[in-house]
Amino acid sequence: MSDAIIVENLRKTYSNGVEAVKGISFSVHYGEIFGFLGPNGAGKSTTIKTVIGLLKPTSGKIILDGHDVQKDPYKARLAKGYASQETAVDDRLTAYENIYLQGKFFHMKEEEIRKNAEELLKMFGLWERKNDLVETFSGGMMKRLDIAAALIHKPKILFLDEPTLGLDIQTRAAIWEYIRKFKESGMTIFLTTHYLEEADALCDRVAIIDKGQIMALDKPGALKSEIGGDLITITFANTGENTEKFLEAVKKIEGIKSVSKMKNGIYSIVAEKNGDKMIPELFSLAPEFNVQINSVRLKRPTLDDVYMKYTGRTIREAESSRDENMKNRMITRRAKR
Amino acid sequence: MKELIIDSYYIAWRELKKYFRQKTRMIVTVIQPFLWLVLMGNAMSGLTSNPMAAQFLGTGNYLTFMTPGIILMTVMFTSIFSGTTVVWDRRFGYLDKLLAAPIKRGAIPFGKMFAAAVQGLLQAVIIIIVAILFGVKFQSGFLGILMILLIATLLAFILAGFSLALSVRIKTIETLMAVINLFMMPLMFASNALFPVNVMPKWLQAIAKVNPVTYAIVPMRDLTVKGWTQNVWVYTLIILIIDIIVMVWTNRVFKNATAE
Repeated sequence: MSDAIIVENLRKTYSNGVEAVKGISFSVHYGEIFGFLGPNGAGKSTTIKTVIGLLKPTSGKIILDGHDVQKDPYKARLAKGYASQETAVDDRLTAYENIYLQGKFFHMKEEEIRKNAEELLKMFGLWERKNDLVETFSGGMMKRLDIAAALIHKPKILFLDEPTLGLDIQTRAAIWEYIRKFKESGMTIFLTTHYLEEADALCDRVAIIDKGQIMALDKPGALKSEIGGDLITITFANTGENTEKFLEAVKKIEGIKSVSKMKNGIYSIVAEKNGDKMIPELFSLAPEFNVQINSVRLKRPTLDDVYMKYTGRTIREAESSRDENMKNRMITRRAKR
Repeated sequence: MKELIIDSYYIAWRELKKYFRQKTRMIVTVIQPFLWLVLMGNAMSGLTSNPMAAQFLGTGNYLTFMTPGIILMTVMFTSIFSGTTVVWDRRFGYLDKLLAAPIKRGAIPFGKMFAAAVQGLLQAVIIIIVAILFGVKFQSGFLGILMILLIATLLAFILAGFSLALSVRIKTIETLMAVINLFMMPLMFASNALFPVNVMPKWLQAIAKVNPVTYAIVPMRDLTVKGWTQNVWVYTLIILIIDIIVMVWTNRVFKNATAE
């Protein structure tokens, strides 16, 4: 079976000359959660909008569920659901009216809409509020409604553009839960995010995008292990000959890459993997050399480290441009309302 | 074609659902023409005691002359702002949602035009009822009133389509309002909505000749003041042709809405 989304050499240059996407290729398998990770302005939204047919690509080919987006836009549009980062629900309609209209736009039968809408609104905890105007909803409820509406026609592929932007932690966790549930039901999910922990927690595979190009693409775990292993930092009650001997012995443990002395009596040990399992070994080894361990810390590489490696800056640095902050604030304000 | 109609219906459904929910907006749209009739009708009633003026107006009752003008103006003001809904939809991402849905693109403007026409029609009906209560007699009878409503609806369609086509390019409400206002003045005054064309200076008469509003007001006024004249048929046909042109235009503009 072919892939759910196939993008070949996609290029998008806006009429004002801005090259938002500079020739990217990737494919998303059926049934996986695929994430686009990058700061605002990296080209994530442009990619998603081009893939679903909202923007015309400057060049390149896009296949959605076997349908060429440019040649057969109708079938391609039927196959997908889309929730934009702006939370596009009409706040002067009720929750049910919003979802009903979406069903009608997908040419569904009245009965089918009623059935799916009930199921979705119940799943998202909005059934009791279905006849309330959306303007009375919180930001999190609006987001849930928006995603529910995107699912009314049971799409094979769901596109989520920054699904948790500006939401509080609990709502974010709830949305993650829903996304995992969709995956279990066999849906393919393409999402963009600039939250590292989101990509890490949800995605089967992640593409790191920066300045319109894919810098890396792999499983989050694989990306992180490229960075190097787990870092264990350790301090001792007293240092001396014993400690040196102890560290020599540690070096010989299988899976330990390196041991080095840092300042202030801190030593760092790099393990290839499973740093957490190394710690008990250190403790069982320590009495043999008569050393007393004072503290141990384990730090695992994060996607932020990965991001740093490929782009030379952290996501937060990449986002510090003023315009982006303004835009972000606008969206956040709307979401919080 | 069937899909286009169904899609347009649900776009209109959304607009009208919201319209009927806004009680203040509805009440105001009813009060406004009422005020026009009472204020203008009274203020200008002295005009018709001058026999020359009465001859120009074609009737001894200024209110009778004014009624079609007020219907027209109310319909214009309601429909020309149709484009603001697109600007607003774009602002909060709903336009993207519509464009991403498998609906016919043309359904977006057509649905909104239809909604504007329904609102205009509703107002026109109210004005006619009020006018009858104020003693205005429609020379063409009940069928003539229906014809007036049809013409008003056709005009609402044109103006809504015009403002919707603009709204695809204009991204802020403020700019759209400014552009609309720029067109509103000449559309209003270079027509015989408020004053008969015959008393205008020649250059203004020339503008009035190419103004679609004139083509709507002439048959409406004839139907009110004179009855079923030949102009009624000719001008309504012209209005209909303008309607078709506007529909083709907006359809194209919205089809290319993703062309960037």
